[in-house]
Amino acid sequence: MPIIVNLDVMMAKRKMSLNELSEKVELTLSNLSILKTGKAKAIRFTTLEAICNALDCQPGDILEYKED
Amino acid sequence: MSKRNNFVFTGLHIIAWIIFVGLCVEAGGLIVNFIFSLYKPEFIQNLYQKLDLSQMYNLNKWVFFSIYSFILFISILKACLFYVVIMLLHKINLLKPFDTYVAGQIKNISYYTLSIGLISYIARQTAQSLQHYGFEIDILNQFWADSQAYILMAAVIYVIATIFSRGVEIQNENDLTV
Repeated sequence: MPIIVNLDVMMAKRKMSLNELSEKVELTLSNLSILKTGKAKAIRFTTLEAICNALDCQPGDILEYKED
Repeated sequence: MSKRNNFVFTGLHIIAWIIFVGLCVEAGGLIVNFIFSLYKPEFIQNLYQKLDLSQMYNLNKWVFFSIYSFILFISILKACLFYVVIMLLHKINLLKPFDTYVAGQIKNISYYTLSIGLISYIARQTAQSLQHYGFEIDILNQFWADSQAYILMAAVIYVIATIFSRGVEIQNENDLTV
């Protein structure tokens, strides 16, 4: 998929675990895992907002476009 | 899911089982009669549900076996159809119905229904053409009276199956939306 999710990179920079992030954004571990592993088909703006707020970053820090 | 819906669903499941058992008994009876008719032609006077095809057998054995094959094939297909319905009712989860398996089974139901409709229609036309040669076919109408209804039902079920498949796609996309 051309859209790459760099969630693990930002989590490492902020030294935050998946459990902590899931509590902060109020998303289940399984959903976060789907996002982290790149299996997600879509992301809601509310979820993106919550993640950016929790990791103190921009959407572009998490999402990257790379042509196949 | 409301309690009433669950009750209706359970009722449908039981009815499907009853119909399936009845169709299996009918198909089994027809198969046994067919085997007996090969070795003991005197049984043709008293086939399943007192069906008497002795006149047809005496006029032309090949016509008898062709028509009987139609009857047998249709009854077996009906039993298979209801088997698929039972499997579907058994495995469907009403809380999350949009499943690939369920969509596939609904498509299979439409294929079986179409097959029954087409074969019934062909059998009926064949039997009607035999009337010109002196065969009595009135007693056979019970086996293929509803061929057009099956074809119509197949078309409707196919449309439902297509919509259901789209529902499965949307459900899968929704499941992978965070």
